[in-house]
Formats: sequence, C-alpha cells, structure tokens
Amino acid sequence: MSDDSGLERRYRRLLALYPAAFREEHEEEMLTVLINGAAAGQRRPRLAEAADLLRNATFMRLRKTQPRAFAARQRMMMRWAYRHRHVMIPIRVALGIWIAVVTAVLYGSGRGGWWAAVLVPAELLNLYLLYRLRRPLES
Amino acid sequence: MQEATFLILTALAGGDQHGYGIITDVEQISDGRVRLRAGTLYTALDRLRGDGLVEVDREEIVDNRLRRYYRLTSAGEERLSAEAARLKANALVAMSRLDPVGVPQ
Repeated sequence: MSDDSGLERRYRRLLALYPAAFREEHEEEMLTVLINGAAAGQRRPRLAEAADLLRNATFMRLRKTQPRAFAARQRMMMRWAYRHRHVMIPIRVALGIWIAVVTAVLYGSGRGGWWAAVLVPAELLNLYLLYRLRRPLES
Repeated sequence: MQEATFLILTALAGGDQHGYGIITDVEQISDGRVRLRAGTLYTALDRLRGDGLVEVDREEIVDNRLRRYYRLTSAGEERLSAEAARLKANALVAMSRLDPVGVPQ
C-alpha cells in the first residue's frame, strides 16, 4: 500500500487506454487493486502489469467501441441522407431504374452471365435505402 | 470456460469479495500457480457481469479507495457447478486410464 501519487498517476495514465464507458465503471476499483498489489515504495507500474492493462484495454476497445462506432457512423449517414432527401430520392429512383435497365439489356442480349449476383443485391440495397428515406431515423 | 474465469467464480462461491480479495484467493486456490493481473481480472468480471453470472454486492470506501464487492448470482452458481462436474468427470477418466487400480470410483 502506497500513497505515492506518482504511482497512482502512472496507473491512471495506463487506465486511460480503456474505453470511456469501461473506465467510468471500473477505473476506481481497478486503481484500488493496482495500488493494493504494489510493493511498498514502488514508484512505477511493473512491466507485466502495464502490458496486461495495455492488452486488455486494446481488447475492450476492439470488442466494445468498434461495432458501436460503426453503427453510429451508419446512423449519421442515414440522417444525412434524410436531410438531403429532396436530392437523394431522385438519385435513388434514377439509380434503381438504371440498374433495372442495365440488367434488362445485359440479359436481353444474352450477355448477363453472373452479373445478376451483383446487380440484384445492388438493386435490393438501393430500394431498401430508398425505402428508409420515407421517415426520419428514430431517436 | 477459461481457467481464470473458473477460478474467479470459485473464489466468489466462497462468499462475496472485492477485486484484490479475488486475486489473493485465486492465488491460494491455484496453489500459487495463477496470479491474476488487474486488467485480466476486470475484463473477466465485466464479461461475467454482462452474462449475469456475477453481480455487485456492495461498495465500500477504505483509505479513500473504492472497493467493490462482487458475488455469484444463482445463474453463476449453476454455471460453475456444471463446469466443475464436467472437469471432474474428465479428470476421473484421465486418472483411471493412467492408473486403473488407484482411482476411487
């Protein structure tokens, strides 16, 4: 047990590597554990301890923030599209017609081949995004 | 289930404990073989709590430091007991094959 603020400061710097939500929940109790585990007069985190914090902080960031950040970015794009729907709707409709025409021409002339594997999902995605422009995103 | 997780749940099966208590208890249970580090412990506790296997029992402030006590939930008890039974069954088979006469059935 040590009151040396240098050690605490260094531990906090390592704990700052964690995502904010995790820190808010666990930083204080983790600090208690780290300080309790420190030898008397110890001034720096041990290398193995620091490496363990770095590894777990990285793991937490990969596990927690990435899907969330991805979803947030997606929502942001949806909102942007909705705000600009007076242009986005005509663009989506035009794109939908264009994909349909390209598909018809390709297969009409017998050169379609595997293009349907690209064109059909592209058209479905386009129609879905067009459909989503009807209403603003909740919350 | 990872060994660290198993040992954390085993530590809590003996009653509620705070983080440092879990570390020292796990060290004792494992005969000094497993010394959990803070990062590993809280990654595990965070996940176990998310899965509903442990929960926060209470918090105390000692010497201006936060101590949060965890306890096993009933789901956690079930899970630990199932895991212990599985390990025991495996261990018995291993021991009986290594030494067919020496294993009490």
